[in-house]
Amino acid sequence: MFLDDYFRQYGLVAIFCVVAVAVPVSMMLMSWGMSRVGLRPRAPSAVKAETYECGMEAIGGKWNLFNFRYYMFAILFVIFDVEVIFLYPWATKFLSLELFALIEMAVFVGILLIGWAYAWRKRDLEWG
Amino acid sequence: MNAHDLYVVSPYLAMAGAAALVIILDLFLPVSGRGGRGRGLLPYAAFLLLAGPFVLSLIQFYDLGDAANLVRGGDAGSDGAEASILLGSLSVDRFALFFNFLVTGAAALVVLASTEYVRLMPRFQGEYFGLLLFSATGMMLLAAATELITIYVALELTTLPLAALGAFLLNGRSSEAGIKFLIIGAISSALMLYGMALVFGFTGSTQLSDISSAVARAGGGGAFGNYALLVGLVLLVAGFGFKISAAPFQMWVPDVYEGAPTPVVAFLSVASKAAGFAVLLRVMFTGFFDVSLDWAVLMAALAAASMTIGNVVAIAQSNIRRLFGYSTIAHAGYLLVGVAAGVGTAQSGPETPVFASIGPDSVLFYLGAYTAANLTAFFAIAAIGQRVGGDRISDYAGLVTRSPGLAIILALALIALIGVPPTGIFIAKLYVFTAAVDSGLAWLAIVGVVNSAVSAYYYVRIIRVMFLGQPPAIYQDGGARSARSAAPWAAMGLAAAALVFMGVAPGFVMGAAGAAVRALGV
Repeated sequence: MFLDDYFRQYGLVAIFCVVAVAVPVSMMLMSWGMSRVGLRPRAPSAVKAETYECGMEAIGGKWNLFNFRYYMFAILFVIFDVEVIFLYPWATKFLSLELFALIEMAVFVGILLIGWAYAWRKRDLEWG
Repeated sequence: MNAHDLYVVSPYLAMAGAAALVIILDLFLPVSGRGGRGRGLLPYAAFLLLAGPFVLSLIQFYDLGDAANLVRGGDAGSDGAEASILLGSLSVDRFALFFNFLVTGAAALVVLASTEYVRLMPRFQGEYFGLLLFSATGMMLLAAATELITIYVALELTTLPLAALGAFLLNGRSSEAGIKFLIIGAISSALMLYGMALVFGFTGSTQLSDISSAVARAGGGGAFGNYALLVGLVLLVAGFGFKISAAPFQMWVPDVYEGAPTPVVAFLSVASKAAGFAVLLRVMFTGFFDVSLDWAVLMAALAAASMTIGNVVAIAQSNIRRLFGYSTIAHAGYLLVGVAAGVGTAQSGPETPVFASIGPDSVLFYLGAYTAANLTAFFAIAAIGQRVGGDRISDYAGLVTRSPGLAIILALALIALIGVPPTGIFIAKLYVFTAAVDSGLAWLAIVGVVNSAVSAYYYVRIIRVMFLGQPPAIYQDGGARSARSAAPWAAMGLAAAALVFMGVAPGFVMGAAGAAVRALGV
């Protein structure tokens, strides 16, 4: 039967969901239960409450400013990067390709040049 | 790729090229120059550049002749030309060209109407027109796409610039509109992609023609004959439902309509909706006609829900742009009636669907009339907003004493949206409901007529406030009163003229719609 097969495959997913919920819930319940019967000591301290940051001591608050102009350079780098990725194989095979490939690359570079000209005229290449 | 392919895609290239040119022009024009020249030329440059795609579409229209499609067959021709790479991905037929003209026309009017509006934004005027034209490119491609991946790419090209445009005013409401449009658009894209994956898994192809034959082979039996197809098609409809702003995918509409720049809303409400209906019609009728008896019920239900939700909630609105948001949901419902009415049943047996071309015909005509009406209304709202400095309906009190021209034009658009002669939407509604009755959906036609009556209440309320309301003693200054330009008036006048023209002499657009629907080749 088509329907049974179809839903049986979802049975695995259902089991996975049940396990995924049951494991963390049981762990928390266990911890809570042990504190009730007195097996789990309770000794909070300032060090324990600190943010865990890969073993480093956290500096400053979480609402600090950072300079997001880097993203502009990242985008410009992507333009340049993609250009090179396509130019390189094109250049190695240039002799066997015909005039059509030359025109096509000119179109491609032309489109990218619009992006460069845009960034240049909008003063995104200047720092300060 | 051969020379003929380039010719086939030339309107789309011209539109994208126009967008790029506008952005480049913006970079090299002087910032303000003498007496505001320089940047002020941008809208007119964009308007003139729109002649490119328009003329190329016109050439293709006459070149098409008796042929169904400009894209030539796949085998390398006898003249040694390379095989077309467009085969299966695009169909440049009368259907696509109909929407080319609709989108180009709407874009041209929106550009004209924006000349006064863009003065509100000192920066990014070039980007404004550039993004508008990029979005128009996507809409034109959407009407021609016959392959799922192409449809997806065209849809994203339509949606992403509109999201950026929605956030253009740099205030809270506008940002909210842009972000909401972006996020809900992304969710619906994800749903649609999932649907496409299921359809591809079931049929083994992304091309609508192959999908159609695979669906025909699968035969009937049960809902859609197959669960994968059922889920896939429902998810596809969810994705398209976002674009056409039909219930229950309408949550973004009022917020976006309230916050986004008014000319952008005008463009969004007509061109984006038209492109959404274009792709819906093509996918449903070309790809999935063999299971149409199943999805016609779905369309009818969506239509009834959209009409009712849109009209009932619109009654309670006090902001005119929110009101138009709900009004556009209701109109998506009327249009969906036409989609559902495209499927009739044969006399011989009730199990085989028959293509009732009057349904899609009426949808295309309705789209034309609705485009004219809504553009008129939004251009008037944009101009009024700049004069009275607000979008609440109470701000419009006694407008007729202050700006009689704008009040009369807005009243004309509102009367049209109710569906009163002599305007295009009267004919369109008549057409849609006739199609519904013909296809055995009399109940849906009744729901539609009742809804039209309900809609009259809130449309007429605005007219009453404008003409009979007490004007405020002291007018607020809308900020842009000194800017007097003929271009927005020209845009308003052209849209209103088109609206009345379609009501008085509907034959021209009706004929074009009929020819377009025949090109679907169901």
